[in-house]
Formats: sequence, C-alpha cells, structure tokens
Amino acid sequence: MADANGTLIKMEGVKKVFLTDEVETHALSEIHLEIKKGTYISIAGPSGCGKSTLLSILGLLDSPSDGNYWLNGQPVAKLTISERTRIRNREIGFIFQAFNLIGDLTVYENVELPLTYRGTSAAERKQKVQHALERVGMAHRLRHYPSQLSGGQQQRVAVARALVGDPLILMADEPTGNLDSKNGEAVMELLRDLHRNGATICMVTHDQRYANFAERTIHLFDGRIVEETQEAHVGA
Amino acid sequence: METIWQDVRFGLRMLIKHRLATIVCVVALGLGIGANTAIFSLAEAFLVHPVPFENPDRIVALVDARVNSQGGAGFGPQDLNAVAPATYLDWKKEVRSFDDLGAYAWDEVSLTGDREAQKVQDFQISANFFSMIGVQPLMGRTFLPEEEEPGRNQEIILSYGLWEQRYASDPNVLKRVIKVDGKSFNIVGVMNKGFDFPMAAEAWIPLTLSTKERLRRDNRWLWVLGRLKPGVSFSEGAAEMRATSEREAQAYPDTNKAWRVHPLPLREFITGPLTRQYTLLLMGAVAFVLLIACADVANVQFARITGRTSEFAVRTALGGSRWRVARQLLIESILLSLAGAGVGLFLAQMDIQMILAHMPPDVARFVAGWKTIRLDGNAFLFALGIAVLSGLISGIAPSLLGSRANIAETLKEGGRGSSISRTRHRLRGALVVCEVALALVLLIGAGLLVKGFQGLLSVTENYAPQTLLTFHYSLPEVQYNQPAVRLNFTEQIVQRLGTISGVQAASLVTNVPYANGGGIDEDEFSIEGIPLTERGEVRSAIVETTAPNYFNTMNIALRDGRLLSDTDGAESARVAVISESLARRYFHGEKALGRHVKVGKAEAEGEWMTVVGVVNDVHYSWIVKEAVPTIYRSFRQAPPNHTTVVLRTEGDPQKFVSAARAEIAAVDPNLPLYEIKPMDKVITESIVGIAYVATMMAVMGAIALILASVGVFGVMSYSVSERAHEIGIRMSMGAQTRDVLTLVLRSGLLLTALGLTIGLPIAFLMARALSSLLFGVEAADPASFIGLPLLLLAVAGLACYLPARRAANLDPLQALRHD
Repeated sequence: MADANGTLIKMEGVKKVFLTDEVETHALSEIHLEIKKGTYISIAGPSGCGKSTLLSILGLLDSPSDGNYWLNGQPVAKLTISERTRIRNREIGFIFQAFNLIGDLTVYENVELPLTYRGTSAAERKQKVQHALERVGMAHRLRHYPSQLSGGQQQRVAVARALVGDPLILMADEPTGNLDSKNGEAVMELLRDLHRNGATICMVTHDQRYANFAERTIHLFDGRIVEETQEAHVGA
Repeated sequence: METIWQDVRFGLRMLIKHRLATIVCVVALGLGIGANTAIFSLAEAFLVHPVPFENPDRIVALVDARVNSQGGAGFGPQDLNAVAPATYLDWKKEVRSFDDLGAYAWDEVSLTGDREAQKVQDFQISANFFSMIGVQPLMGRTFLPEEEEPGRNQEIILSYGLWEQRYASDPNVLKRVIKVDGKSFNIVGVMNKGFDFPMAAEAWIPLTLSTKERLRRDNRWLWVLGRLKPGVSFSEGAAEMRATSEREAQAYPDTNKAWRVHPLPLREFITGPLTRQYTLLLMGAVAFVLLIACADVANVQFARITGRTSEFAVRTALGGSRWRVARQLLIESILLSLAGAGVGLFLAQMDIQMILAHMPPDVARFVAGWKTIRLDGNAFLFALGIAVLSGLISGIAPSLLGSRANIAETLKEGGRGSSISRTRHRLRGALVVCEVALALVLLIGAGLLVKGFQGLLSVTENYAPQTLLTFHYSLPEVQYNQPAVRLNFTEQIVQRLGTISGVQAASLVTNVPYANGGGIDEDEFSIEGIPLTERGEVRSAIVETTAPNYFNTMNIALRDGRLLSDTDGAESARVAVISESLARRYFHGEKALGRHVKVGKAEAEGEWMTVVGVVNDVHYSWIVKEAVPTIYRSFRQAPPNHTTVVLRTEGDPQKFVSAARAEIAAVDPNLPLYEIKPMDKVITESIVGIAYVATMMAVMGAIALILASVGVFGVMSYSVSERAHEIGIRMSMGAQTRDVLTLVLRSGLLLTALGLTIGLPIAFLMARALSSLLFGVEAADPASFIGLPLLLLAVAGLACYLPARRAANLDPLQALRHD
C-alpha cells in the first residue's frame, strides 16, 4: 500500500546513462518525481526525450544508473532481476503501444498470463480473467486469437491483461500509438474510466490531446523534467 | 543460362556471407554424402562385382536347400548346400535350359618338393569349368575332359598370385612337375592376374569322380554352376530345375525327399545372403543419415530465408517471378550440397581406407568382391547424384515457402506474424520430429547390433582364448594312409608339444569353435535303436576327433557320465561323448549314456560308439543361433588326417609358435603347418564381418544422434530468437527465469518426445523385420528400447537447454524491442 502521504512512487535524482561504443548517452538526468495513489499522470515530450526510458524504469523493466526509487515505500532501484520480476508481476500492469499480445495464445490465455506466473489457482484465474475482460468489454472474445481482432480490440485485451492482477499502477506506453483516432479515443476513455474507479495510471504519450486526459502531466526534454501541468477537468 | 550463372554467383556470395551456417550445412551433408558414398562403394563391390570375370549374368548357381515346413526350398538365407555327384550328373544329362553345367569342390593341398611346404587353397573343378564361365588362362591351357577320369588327374593350374609368389613368375613354369600332397602334378596353365574364382582360389586341379562316387546321392559336396542358353531367362531355367528336382525327390526319396534345388543368380550366390542383407541394411542406415542431414540443412535454410524476407520481397516487387526466387534458393541449396559432396568424397576415401586397413587378409580373401572396393568413377557419379538430390530435398520446401512472401506486408516496417511464418515454424518443427524419429530408428538398430556383438564376445570369453594357440596340419594321404601311422604321429606330437616349457596342455580337435570363419561342417550319424521316422530324414552333428584333455583345455564342462580318457585306446571299446543339445534333441529326455551312435548311416561300415558322457554345448559360429549337436570321439580310436592342434599356454601364445614348429618338424620335417593363430584371433576373424557392421552402424548411430541434436539445437536457437519478443512480453508480465527455461525446454522436448513416439514403433517393426540379422540379442531387447530413447531425450534436452538458457537471460527491454 502507499505510505502515509499516499505516495506510491517516489524518485530522487534518478539518472540513466547508456554506454555505446564508449560514448555516454544521458537518457535521463536528475529525475525527481512523486506519484500519489489514484493519480492519472502522463509523461509527455518530443521523440527521444527519455519518456519510454523513464517508463521502463518506473515499470522495473530497467534500472537507473544512479538515484533512488521507492515503489510503495520500498526501495527498488537496486533489486535483483528476480525480485524486480516478482514486483512487476504483482504490482505493475503494462499497456504497450504495439499491444504485445502473444499471437499463439487466445484472448483468455493472454489475459491469464500474469496470474499464471503468479501461481494463482485455476478457478481464481478464471474468475479474474472473466472480470477483467468484462471491464474492457471483451468478454465475448475469449477464444479469439489476437490476429482475429481489430487494433482497438487488441489494445482493450492488453488493458485487461494489465488489470487482471490488480496492480498498484498501470504503465501505459503510447497506448494509442498504433490505433486510429476513433479507437484511440475509445482506449483513452477506457483508461479514464479505470482511473475514475481508483486506478493509478502512468502514461507516456507525445500526443497533447491524450496527455490532457491525465490530471497531471510532466514534460520531459533532453532527459529532464522541464515542466509539470495540472488538468482541472480530469475526473469530472 | 546467363541468369542461372547470375544466381550461382549470387548464391556463392550468400554462402560466403553466412559462413557459419554454410559450414554447418556442408559438414552435415559431407557426413551424409560421405557415408553414402563409402557404403555405395562397398555395395558396388559386393553386389555388382563379386566375381572376377565379365558377364556373370548368365551363370546360375544350383544349390540344394532343405524343404521347409511350407514345402518350399530353404529354411533361411544360410541354408545353401552343395549337391550330390549323382544329382549333378543327372542334371547334366537332363536339363535343357543350360548350355552346360560345371562343378567345383573346395580343397586344400600341400605343395612340397621344389621349395618349402606350402598350404594352398585349391578347387577341384570340372574340365569345362573355365570355358563355361568364359575365362581363358594367361598361359597354357585349361583341363581336358579326359583329365576328369580317376588316375588321370595329374594336372594343376596356378593362379597368377601363386605363380608370382612361389615360382617368381617363371615363364617356363608350364614345364615343371610339382608335388601336390605328395603326388606329382604337371603345371598346365596360369590364370590371369586377379582371377581367383571360386573365391580365394590359388590353384585348380581336375574334379574326378570314381564310379562309386558318381552313384552317391546323399553326399553333397559339389557346387554346381550352369550357363543359361541364349534366349532362356533365369526364371525359365529355375523353373526347369525345380521340376527336375521334384522328379528326383519322387524317384529317390531316401536321399532327395527332404531336399529341393534352389537356383540363384551367380552374383547373389557368391555374395551370400548375409553379406547382401547387411549391405542393404547399411545402405538403409546411411540413407537415414543423409535424410537427417538434409533436414538439418533445410532447417538452416528456413532460418536464412527468414532473414532474407525483405530481399525476396524486393526481388518480387521488382518483377521477379516466384519461380525465379525459388530457383535462386534451390541453386544455393544445391551449391551447399555440392560442397558437401566434396567433403563427402574426402570422408568416403578415408572411410574406405579404414575399412580396408582393418580387415585381416585371411578373411578379406574370402569376401567376394573385397579386392574391388575402391572409390571409382561410379562412386563419384553417385556422390554427385545424391548431392543434387540432397540439394533438392533440403531446398525445396524452404525455397517454395521463401518465394511465397507477402510483399506488401514484408515491405511494411514491422510486418510480423504472418501465416507464412507460422507455416515455416510448423515445418521446422516437423523436420525436427522426423530427424528425431529417424535417429532413434538408427540408434536402436545400431544398439541391437552392437549389443549382439558384445554378447558374442562374452560367449567366447569362456574359452579364455588369449592363452590358446591353434594351428592346423593335414597329413599327406600317400605317407599316412594307414591309421596306425597316423596314430603314431599324433601320439608323438601330442606328447612332444606337451613337454614344451610354458605349455600347460597340448590337445587336438578336428576344428576349434569359430574356425573357418564360423563355417560348420556336419556329418550324418545314426543312433542304434532309434530308427528314422520317415524317409529322407537326416540326423546330423558336428563330429570332432579330439584328445581326451580337449574338454579341460577349452573349459567345456561335463554334464553327465565321464569325459574321454587316455584309456580309450585303439583296442578299447569305441566310445563317444555327446553335447547336451544332441542328447536333448535325439534322446528326447531319455538317458543317453550307454546308448550307441555311429558316424554315417546305420547300415554303413564303421563301428558303433557307446555314449559315455554328455558335455555342455559349445558355440561354434555367430551365424548359427541354435546349439549344434556335437559328437566327440578319441583320436586314438579314429586317427585323423586333418587336425587342429590346441595349446594352452602361459601368457602370450605367439611366443610358443617356433617351439611348436620345431617339435612337429622333429617328427615330420615336411609337414606344413597353417592357420597358426591365437584362439582370440580365430574368434576375431570369424566375427569380423559382424564387427564391421556393428561398428559402422554404431558410427552411423552416433552421427545420427549428433545431427539430430544439431537439428534440435538449431530449431530451438532459432525459435528463441524468433520468440524473443514474446519472451520479452512474458518477462514484462512477470515470467521468472525458470518460467522461460521451462517454456523453451518444454517446446523442444515436446518435439523430441513426438519424434520418439513416432520412431519407437518404427524401430520395433524394423528390429523384428531384421531379426534374422541380429545375433546374441533379442529383437525387442528392453535395454535398447528404453535406454536409447532416454539417451536421445537427454542429448536433445541438452541441445534445448543451451538456447533455453539464452532465452532466460534475455533483457526484457531489449526483447520487447526485438522485431
């Protein structure tokens, strides 16, 4: 659970440096960030500014080169791979731009995946998968394969997969990037509904229209947070 | 044509660019093509050129075979027997399908007089023999019809090798008179270089049949060949011979009822059924190896095509037809195979050199076609042919699939997960399943042969053959025609040899087990008081004339009664010891001791022998699975002409050869000794054929195992790189290292298990079908059918584990970016 102040994520002085052929690339510098539980935050900025790198570190897919990171009050910057994997599985839900559904698994099996790795019983998995798919309006496509669905439907399944384990936070990386505007709007509405029901969401987008769906937007430029804005209408 | 050259040039560039894949493919194909080419060379020698003369197609071998329960001829592939003289002479008079019939008989003679005594493998042949098979001598003449008459047979024809070795290629050799078994013979001819037919012949003398012999229908010792008349087919000639044989069975039931003629093309007869079947077995095995190699190459081609999807899409977008793209890929595949053929020819040459080098010369000369084994023009063409075929087999599916690329989807960045890639994935999986199934069949076949061979070795260990020295001698008939003279000689040498320092026992026997390449000579015998139940029935047994200490020398245990003893002398009552199988088969549970047996027919001359003991059976040959009934009699009661001396020595038996020679020379300085060998060498030479087959099958099995593992490894490695994105997704969803390991191992082991499931029943059926070729092991040997699949599973598991480890160590972030 979040700490006494309701802080779910806290970053202090996080840096990320990539070394390529002895050339240092500073992808992130001096990131200080706090996200409270129930917040809908978007990370915006031009291409190459470090949005996805920040999201990867936030989602424990990557680790910072320096700095501190607490997730739900627990320091997570220097965890082992195995520990990061376990936390990712239990506390974080991912939504990717390219949906990243597994083509050889059915809709049901894709959504079931995080629970399978968690060791949840079959009966509980069934109940949770059904519930998650109902929340995104895809319960009628359990036995379909991803290739049999439209892009918008695939992303809704991906959202269901992110939700199914009741994570502390949803990480969405350009969730509308591969969708047309109509399907993009629908997915954004879905995320807004989830937020209204209490979900904490952290979304990367370069599209200002979608950034406005969040109640708080941080703007990155050259790996630094250069601006932070609050949207008054969110949640209304 | 120009476009084909373009494709060839581009193909070469591609093969050089993907060096590692090219090397893997060339080595795999080289192993497959090399093994096939080497076995082709053996098959060509054994099956196509087993005789050293031209046009043997019109020559038919007419052999006798026992009537089986279905009324047909032959109990099995080994049941080929010589023909009785009266039968041969009847055929000569009666049959119309043949221009002529000729006969030969195995013989061994000692050449003495002009130089040191020398044992020579000769054949008694009918006067028309050489003209019938269509060969002429290098010098001199062949035999004249009148030289077939008894008493006129004083001529000998030499082989080129004997002329060269013993007479230094003397051009005046035809004027020489030499001593053959103590009698004077004129050299009348020398045959051409390389001619040694029937196999291993060093000399030929005329076949003479006495008036008494010409009437014998029960003594089968002539091998009969016939030349078909022009226009008469083999089946027509064979049909006439079978009808003739039926008539003889009715006319002479006592001797012919249980026998029928079995005509065989000469090549088939000379090669022998076992050699033929083992050669075909090896050809099948190497074909399996090549198919596994092709599957490996096809898998590599699939992987390479995946990496070149954009290239094919661009080619197609620019107007290249599907055939053109497929042709490009096929040409690359054939180029790979041709490179494999180059490596294969090199490996085949090495294989053949190894095969030739390890065969004992004493055995090689009795293997029909052995000296024609070489990598010749036919082998080169064969290698070229199977290279092209392998190129087509391994390239056809990848090229057809590669040429089916969806241009629009491929040219679009990020196009992924099409139905073509799924088909490719399934095909690659299917190839691995086939590889595993083929490898298992081959492994089990090899395992059964190797286990059987090991079983044979363990059986022979009972003799403790490492400390036994054996050698033969044949007493010349002229000098030793009286039994008392032979007995005197034999007593002396047994006594003298026994006094050599370091010799623990000196004994003798007609033939030691596994002698003569495992060939078994059985004689007819009779039992007093148990008459034959039907006409034509024959009781036969190996008849050994031994020294009483033979049983102890060879560790043959007594089961009942007593062994032969030194008191069983020439003047004593005639006694015999029989083997357990004889007692069981012919006395049907009754007490054999005290009963009387006689070598030959009951009414024939010769004395009845009282059975005084029953001993354990002795395994005489790896070919004959059942124990062969054996009668042992004392040399004092039947002094032998032909004998094998057996010395049990302290340590290396070779050290006692010169001492043994000296002791025998002290009794008869002119007596040649031959086949001087330690017993373990006798055994080794006897089983060298099965040893070769077992070794070659084991090598094939090992290659198949390696190639199948390479296939599993290749597919799983490729699968991991293909599924990197998926693995990244799974990791981002919380999949731990063990989950990813399990995922990859499970899919690899599933393919392996499927291959094993398909391969096991095929291997079982194959083993049953080939049970006649398995010795010393059951076709359904549980250890082979459980252990070898587990071995394959373990090796495949290791082949899966390495890519699985790589998958488990993937960085999820990188994997998610993987396209």
